[in-house]
Amino acid sequence: MESDEDDFVFFGTPIEREEDTISRKKKSISEASGQLRTLAPWKQEVRDEEGRRRFHGAFSGGFSAGYFNTVGSKEGWTPQTFTSSRKKRAEIKQQDLSNFLDDDEKAELEGNSLGTSMQFDTFGFTAAEIARKQSEKEQNERPSAIPGPAPDELVLPATDPIGVRLMLKMGWRRGQSVKSSKSTHYDARREARKAFLALAGLKDAEVEDASETAAELPIDDVIQLQKSTPVYVLNPKKDMYGLGYDPFKGAPEFRENKRPHLPGNKESGTKRLLLKKEGLFSFKSRNVAPGFGIGALEELDAEDEDVYASGYDFEAFVEEEESEEPTRLTIEDKKKSSSKEHGILPGFKAASNSDYQSERFDPPVVPKDFVPHHKFPATLEVNQKLTEVPPSEVPPPMDNNLKVLIEGVATLVARCGTLFEELSREKNQSNPLFDFLNGGNGHDYYKRKLWEARQKHCYTSKPLLNEKIAPNTQTMTAETRGNILGEKPLNRTAKDLKPVVPATNDFNLQFHLSDTFTEPASFVEPTEIAKPFQHDAAKQERFEQYLKEKYHGGLRTIDAGGSSKMSEAARARERLEFEAAAGAITQGKWGKESQLSGQQILGASAGLGLQFTSGGSEACIIINTVSQAEETIKKSIFPKREEFQWRPALLLCKRFDLIDPYMGKPPPPPRLRSKLDSLIFMPDYIKSSTEERSAISSPQLDEKRRTNVMDAEDKVEVENVEAENVERPVDLYKAIFSDDSDDEEETINFNQHDDPTKKIEAANTTLSRLMADDFLESLGKELGLEVPPDQPYQLPQATQKATVQDISQKYEPIDSASHKTTDTQITKELNHEIMKKEIKIKQYDSSSDDGKGRKRSKRVYDSTDDLSDGYRDRHSSSRHKERKKEHRKHSKHRHHESPSRSRHSGHKGYRDSKKDKKTRRD
Amino acid sequence: MSAEDLPKNEANVLKGHEGAVLTARFNRDGNYCLSGGKDRTIRLWNPHRGIHIKTYKSHGREVRDVHVTPDNSKICSCGGDRQVFYWDVSTGRVIRKFRGHDSEVNAVKFNEYASVVVSAGYDRSLRAWDCRSHSTEPIQIIDTFLDSVMSVCLTKTEIIAGSVDGTVRTFDIRIGRELSDDLGQPVNCISLSNDGNCVLASCLDSTLRLLDRTTGELLQEYKGHTCKSFKMDCCLTNSDAHVVGGSEDGRLFFWDLVDASVVSSFRAHSSVASFSLFLYT
Repeated sequence: MESDEDDFVFFGTPIEREEDTISRKKKSISEASGQLRTLAPWKQEVRDEEGRRRFHGAFSGGFSAGYFNTVGSKEGWTPQTFTSSRKKRAEIKQQDLSNFLDDDEKAELEGNSLGTSMQFDTFGFTAAEIARKQSEKEQNERPSAIPGPAPDELVLPATDPIGVRLMLKMGWRRGQSVKSSKSTHYDARREARKAFLALAGLKDAEVEDASETAAELPIDDVIQLQKSTPVYVLNPKKDMYGLGYDPFKGAPEFRENKRPHLPGNKESGTKRLLLKKEGLFSFKSRNVAPGFGIGALEELDAEDEDVYASGYDFEAFVEEEESEEPTRLTIEDKKKSSSKEHGILPGFKAASNSDYQSERFDPPVVPKDFVPHHKFPATLEVNQKLTEVPPSEVPPPMDNNLKVLIEGVATLVARCGTLFEELSREKNQSNPLFDFLNGGNGHDYYKRKLWEARQKHCYTSKPLLNEKIAPNTQTMTAETRGNILGEKPLNRTAKDLKPVVPATNDFNLQFHLSDTFTEPASFVEPTEIAKPFQHDAAKQERFEQYLKEKYHGGLRTIDAGGSSKMSEAARARERLEFEAAAGAITQGKWGKESQLSGQQILGASAGLGLQFTSGGSEACIIINTVSQAEETIKKSIFPKREEFQWRPALLLCKRFDLIDPYMGKPPPPPRLRSKLDSLIFMPDYIKSSTEERSAISSPQLDEKRRTNVMDAEDKVEVENVEAENVERPVDLYKAIFSDDSDDEEETINFNQHDDPTKKIEAANTTLSRLMADDFLESLGKELGLEVPPDQPYQLPQATQKATVQDISQKYEPIDSASHKTTDTQITKELNHEIMKKEIKIKQYDSSSDDGKGRKRSKRVYDSTDDLSDGYRDRHSSSRHKERKKEHRKHSKHRHHESPSRSRHSGHKGYRDSKKDKKTRRD
Repeated sequence: MSAEDLPKNEANVLKGHEGAVLTARFNRDGNYCLSGGKDRTIRLWNPHRGIHIKTYKSHGREVRDVHVTPDNSKICSCGGDRQVFYWDVSTGRVIRKFRGHDSEVNAVKFNEYASVVVSAGYDRSLRAWDCRSHSTEPIQIIDTFLDSVMSVCLTKTEIIAGSVDGTVRTFDIRIGRELSDDLGQPVNCISLSNDGNCVLASCLDSTLRLLDRTTGELLQEYKGHTCKSFKMDCCLTNSDAHVVGGSEDGRLFFWDLVDASVVSSFRAHSSVASFSLFLYT
């Protein structure tokens, strides 16, 4: 029993359960005795071959069913939970049959499946390795009867090569060098051969041919178990050939040449190899020197010889040689060919007469007049270019665009060389516009232009050469002559055309890109063609003068653009006319309008937005044409594509079911507003800036302004400058309308320094306000204390310097002092016209206030002037309300001042008269 | 569809609006039609039988644009009351109102999944609203436009909008970039070709321009109609063979897509017609 149990192989940790062991015992007993059949079916237990109880099903297994034997838990199968989130996607588990099988079942199944086995291990390596390992393991586990490590031979599977197996059969053992008894009777012969070899100087005849498998043979006859040294130790692989490849297989003679270059193992190799030659297993001894006789065992195998491989090998060798030491090889070759003493390949005989004789040539004879100095071809080219026959003058093609294009290309070609021509020809093969390059439309013209441009280029780029070359060129055009003489071409109009060109013909753009673009000669059309002011000779003259100056550049003369007799306005008008005409001329050229009458030009100028020129119906046509031209320009510009970065919101990406392209990246910097953008905001900005100005105006400043109205405007200007940097207020409308107490006074005040029409307008609104009775009352009170309108001018400068704190104190003396004058003025004004008086009243009114933010009010009016009526209504009504409040305030304020109060009564008369007037007017 | 097959006669007149009709849109399959007008209502029609099905009232001002989801369950609309309304079709109730535009809303569209409404406003902005959450705040505000945004189109990955500043801007959500195609003329209405490669822009210089979307190239211009001050809709026919556009004289123009010749034009309305057509034939 005990020994039986020992023989069991246990996997995993055994479960110490008494019942188990007992039942297992029982089972084995019963099995042995065949009692199993006698047991009741519910007591029977099905067991596998290892004695484990098998799973019967969920209800039949009792306590341990499905737990100890099969599934890994007490509860049986654990239901899988499926969780999948956006971040952590659940992988779809591919279940297969093996997931549901016990390992014994799996083993069963594996019997049917394909797999690798040791049996067919080609190299026998892995299998042997595995077997050895296994045996070692086994040995460790189980002490064997034989002490020490198990011999490899016993464990290794029979995957050794057949030769080894044969040898093993013959009595050879692994790790032992081969010693053959047969070799003994070859000894004498071997000795003789050794001597011969020494004589022949073939000391190291064959290192390489030591066979890989064969072991060395000891010389002596002592039978000795000698551990064989692995061949790879003896002959380390030093070349880059593949394993087992022998480049000298077919031509062992070359091995000799190869050898000297191979360093190392020369000495040790010699002896060994010589011995080896007679070795039993040295079957590859191919390099048998002639005349030495061949032993029975040393014969060349016919099968081993590869007839066809030799050539290749030779080549390989030579190549190798050359790459290693080419100089040496060539030297050697020479030597070999010239002197036949040594270095002859073994197996070869030097030829008595060589077919090959190297032919020698004399060096070329240098001519006597040769000067070792290189002449550069540039001059040559120039010469050639200039001497070549110029193509005949050809009229330019009808199409203006084409003409321009041709000229542009010609200039560029002259500048950059014919390479450019070829390039552009290649590039624009499909473009019909470039047909002239290939001899199509306009080819002749192109030729001519090219020639011209070349000449020009030569002259301009090599002015020094000109003196030399000039006499050579008999056919000299006026143009070239002009160039030589340094004349300025007449037609500088081309300069003006430049900006127009890229707009109309965008294909020209590339030509304009080169900064050194010279205007082609044909641009130069005499300005005489365009005489827009033919009917007025004087004017035409002036126009020409203007043109000349325009294209001359630099400063204009004083009387430019008009005679001195003309008035300033007329001169300005004429200047504009001329400009328009000049523009029209260029446009006419480009827009295929060769002739423009003076009137048309006038029209054109009108079309350009100059309102003072009279434009008839003709002008309209011109405008149309101009606008058409503009349209074409536009067409070429638009649509214009721009690309910006744009960051979509995360949620937006989510809703569009897209991945946020900027996930995890910091937010991009805000895009710079374009100029156009700021332009659109312009009105807003102006408003706001005015607001700022008012906002920053300190009370002190306002006070000053109140007292010194004349200076006010200047100060505003100063402030304007200051205000530029101030931030924009939060809400424009709030700023305008919420603080009405300030506004109100100022809106009225603003009339003081504004044009009469606005005054009247404002007066009307004020008048309506005046209707209210209570207002009139308070006004009367106020008037008693008020500063007269003209007063500010006369005020002492001290007031201006007053600080904010004493402003209120200063009011009083001023008011009281000036009061009398006010009275007299008022009475005087009573006789005036109603309208005027009202304005004046308004003025009093405004001046009565402490003048805070007066400037703002003016601004506000400016800005609100263009606002809609609705706004104004609102404004005025609120103003009205505020006004009432304020007057009450004022009156309160005045109440504790006895001198002023006394005056109130004194003014009753005025107030009454005013009332009267009102009623009268009503 | 050849030129002969182009519609010439009116099939039905849908009468019911008590004022100018500003917009009319088919649903996706072309069986129903929605219209909105100055009478502050949206009306649902069966255009084939000429039946008025339902009226949606809640707008405070005129209805300028309306769009229906692909599944016909929801409507979004916008108009002069600066709000975008999100309706339930069957009950006729407003599910949500999206406030945020500073002025009138010119155009509105659902995205492919009907989860986002994108609106284009006079306040120079595009706003994207979320239909899924209860938030009434816009998901995103695009305010790179320089002037009123008149029309908007959505693809699966892009928002395309035309503005009075003369640009057609494409906002690619996938790449995160904005392409601005400046046409130089105020853009009134844009419409995508059915293959999605081109965009048709109606400009206020009485020209329809067909742009290649990938390169921004101007492919063709269609002229002959008048469109100078009103918002006139334009679109391509289902086969992308013809371009349809309205004219301010009440005429309807059909151009050949390729050679831009006026194939047919006829008087469809007695006065200025601001119309929308999506042909489903």
